[in-house]
Amino acid sequence: MNISTDILVWISSLLTLFIFSFIFRDNPFYRFAEHLFVGTSAGYFIALSYHNVVYPNLIVPLFKEGQFLYVIPLILGILYITRFIPQISWLVRIPIAFLLGWGSGVAIPAALQADVVKQIQGTMLTRSVFQRWDNGLWATIILIGVVATLLFFFFSRERKGVIKPIANLGIIFIMLGFGASFGYTVMARISLLIGRFQFLLGDWLGIIK
Amino acid sequence: MNFAERITKIPRQIIYAVIALAIIIPLIAPIGMAINVMPQTQKLIDAIESLPPDSKPVLISCDFDPQSMPELYPMLEAALNHCFNKGIKVLVLALWPQGAGMAEMALKKVPEAYNRKYGEDYVFLGYKAGAAAVVLGLGDNFKNVFPADYYNKPLDSLPLTAHIKNYNDISLVISFSAGDPGYRTWLLYGQAKFGFKLGTGVTAVSAADTYPYLNSGQLTGVFAGMKGAAEYETALAKKGYTLTSRNATKAMDAQSLGHFFIMVFIIIGNVGYFLIRRKK
Repeated sequence: MNISTDILVWISSLLTLFIFSFIFRDNPFYRFAEHLFVGTSAGYFIALSYHNVVYPNLIVPLFKEGQFLYVIPLILGILYITRFIPQISWLVRIPIAFLLGWGSGVAIPAALQADVVKQIQGTMLTRSVFQRWDNGLWATIILIGVVATLLFFFFSRERKGVIKPIANLGIIFIMLGFGASFGYTVMARISLLIGRFQFLLGDWLGIIK
Repeated sequence: MNFAERITKIPRQIIYAVIALAIIIPLIAPIGMAINVMPQTQKLIDAIESLPPDSKPVLISCDFDPQSMPELYPMLEAALNHCFNKGIKVLVLALWPQGAGMAEMALKKVPEAYNRKYGEDYVFLGYKAGAAAVVLGLGDNFKNVFPADYYNKPLDSLPLTAHIKNYNDISLVISFSAGDPGYRTWLLYGQAKFGFKLGTGVTAVSAADTYPYLNSGQLTGVFAGMKGAAEYETALAKKGYTLTSRNATKAMDAQSLGHFFIMVFIIIGNVGYFLIRRKK
């Protein structure tokens, strides 16, 4: 056992234990750690945003390099603050409209290409897929799954006749998807817990290397 | 309270204590369970493995923060180890502000172990705000988006970046992604438009979402959560590569035992539920 002598390791270890104490019940130690986290996060983000975004992308080009075109983003940025002044708060719509316009213009074609066109291509059964029997089998299962799931979300016709069993098959595929997602979520949470224990047992207490 | 009711009402403190012990004990006394490399992990390893030492650089994007460190940082370190073992040059950037800190931590540790020189073997571009605009902009000209590196050295003055213009000069992009912006930003605004090879390492929470992109070939390969990182470390060790750390591999016994007891509790809860329902 080789306990750390680093004060920062001690602070983060104790804060971890404060947060873990919530397992038993809400308590002042947990609330102290929680409030400290919210406060430091906000301060950290403000400093980080200024040094990494505002200063190099606005202050330097506009005031040090004299690129006056940057007055436009400066004005658009300032307009966001008008939200706090009720008389002129409507001005906030201008930068929001600008962002929405740019964002939609960029995102819609990209999403169509990556999420629709490429995904349909990926679902299609081609001769090359069947060059290996297992690939062909999986590709067929994926195609059946896609069709069945889409039919489950097809609400324009009553679910009877041939539609009913296919939609029911769709439910099975959806449940399998949920199961996979939940399994991965459990795995993620356990991983985070392991990360904390590795820190406590390793960096702090020196029990593990 | 009968047996069925008792097993459906196990105090949560007991559940937490069992899970904690299931994790702590194997961390202190490892069992050494086998780690099998999954096909999606192998695909990304093969993509890096196929690159010759004189290939175009690999671009690594650190799109995560300290909260996702246990899952994604081992992947980042393993990827740097892999590239430097093979003599592949690396560019590193971050779409998350805290990702720059994660990248810097790894770059202070790994290149030193291989005597790699900054500016020649690797360059750290740092963080840039506006994820979609960054990914789109890099497709036009790297130097418009990053005129200088993280340490304010102009890219034109560094041997590695002096001749890099856009994605045509990059062999592979890997995004270590904990959310948005992340691998989907690279996929939507980069891969779909410019057609470069894209691999990703994701937190386990978002691993299931990557499979459709893997199946369609939009993603070259995926490292899924801490398990993916452990698979990557194991595969590299089997190939005889040196690694600066193997934290994910060390955690796998704890992960497996943790999962085992969660499954046990799920089964106990369901048995209790069915027994109570049958009685009613």
